[in-house]
Amino acid sequence: MVNAPPANPIKTVDLPRFGSCTYNEADIFVFPWGLPGFDGLRAFIVLQLETQDQILWLQSLDDLSVALPLGDPWTFFPDYDPKLPAFARLSLDLGNADDFTIMAVMVGTDGGPTFMNLMAPVVLNLKNRVARQVPLEGSGYTVAMKIPVPEAVAAQAAAQAEAVPE
Amino acid sequence: MLVLSRKLNQSIMIGDNVQLVVVSIDRDTVKLGIQAPREVPVHRAEVYEEIQKANRAAVPGAAAESTNVKAAPALLKSRRKAPKIN
Repeated sequence: MVNAPPANPIKTVDLPRFGSCTYNEADIFVFPWGLPGFDGLRAFIVLQLETQDQILWLQSLDDLSVALPLGDPWTFFPDYDPKLPAFARLSLDLGNADDFTIMAVMVGTDGGPTFMNLMAPVVLNLKNRVARQVPLEGSGYTVAMKIPVPEAVAAQAAAQAEAVPE
Repeated sequence: MLVLSRKLNQSIMIGDNVQLVVVSIDRDTVKLGIQAPREVPVHRAEVYEEIQKANRAAVPGAAAESTNVKAAPALLKSRRKAPKIN
């Protein structure tokens, strides 16, 4: 008697935005409470484009047209201090700081992401792969905090503006 | 939608362990007290609607990316500095 081979955890999906992509089923994040604005979507994977090192894409596997850019909030807001409410700790089982990470949704304009949602960070438990967007009501953070332009970039832009002849 | 009339200090139970109490009534403002288990999130509806709107705005248009994409599970790292939890 031959045992059935284990199901292959490596899946390939054809994404409207990113094309063909291979992922491991073990890397899927489940949002059991959904993602606000996208009712019914539960399974997501995290992707990165070769040309973008500061953006990760939260790609839905239930609706392939849905992908949200995520960024590390501390890259742009070093003083960011999200105080996660008790419901987040309990529902996501955030006992150990090593087990989870916090990302923020980036809201773009044509020139790339310029705002970050610091009011509702996405909290991902890396161990049990359960995630949830957690509103920090009363925190003073908003859903669209302007990402500060790095000083070097701002200086370069200013220099270029000066160099333009009248 | 179920509609119930309540007077000051009267309450409503939602399920077995969520209780809403009318704490005060002042012209067009009603203050509600909410007693719910710690694992139940309670938010003003506007907060939730704002997040819904921001999430939808974050999904870019249909344009396809020209560069390759890869699954990036290892790029998610736990915070060096552990966030405080209330």
